[in-house]
Amino acid sequence: MSTVMVIAPLVIANWSVISAAVVGAVGVLGFATVNEGVTASRRVKETNRAEIELDESEILEGSGGSGEEIVVEKDDVRAIFSRDARGALKVCVEGHGRSKAELRQIGEELIGRVTQQYVYHRVVTELANRNMAIVNEEVSEDRTVKIRVRNW
Amino acid sequence: MAEELEIEIGPTGQVVVRTIGIKGSKCIDAAEFIARIVGREESRVLTSEYHETDLHVERHQNIHRRH
Repeated sequence: MSTVMVIAPLVIANWSVISAAVVGAVGVLGFATVNEGVTASRRVKETNRAEIELDESEILEGSGGSGEEIVVEKDDVRAIFSRDARGALKVCVEGHGRSKAELRQIGEELIGRVTQQYVYHRVVTELANRNMAIVNEEVSEDRTVKIRVRNW
Repeated sequence: MAEELEIEIGPTGQVVVRTIGIKGSKCIDAAEFIARIVGREESRVLTSEYHETDLHVERHQNIHRRH
């Protein structure tokens, strides 16, 4: 008997877990984290802006309160990950000379990659906890990660 | 045949789980285990391999009854 199941991800984590997922994910798309967010915001002038929220997410409030954010940049595009008022993960993308549609597309790609990184970490951690062996792992051209597990 | 799970994590975090060589309801258990880790099950289908196996067993039983 065999089955194929499709599963939609739910991101429920504290800010430190989300931070790790952001840092791990954005590098692949050429973004780098920016330590001085205020300085970075001053460099980007006359920007368009797009905001994307991850509906299926809940960032658990930590000791840092609601002011937590991560800023990443690539060329003239800056993305700010944060927790919105409802507690969901949000990314705000700004860029000089970029259309809103273009910025939205970048934001969706970024938030997708962060979700993928979060899910990957969750799955691999749980498999390890149950002593399941990953016998093969590969990344396809469209950046899908394929894992094969034995000892089920 | 080895019992395996193939887990595909797409660029948006959507996951597709395929069970390979896992017999009986155990294959559903395996997929549901991943679903509990990841999030919300959207769909599930039994593969053609499942139906082929059923047909094979049924034919074998019919032949057996004739004897």
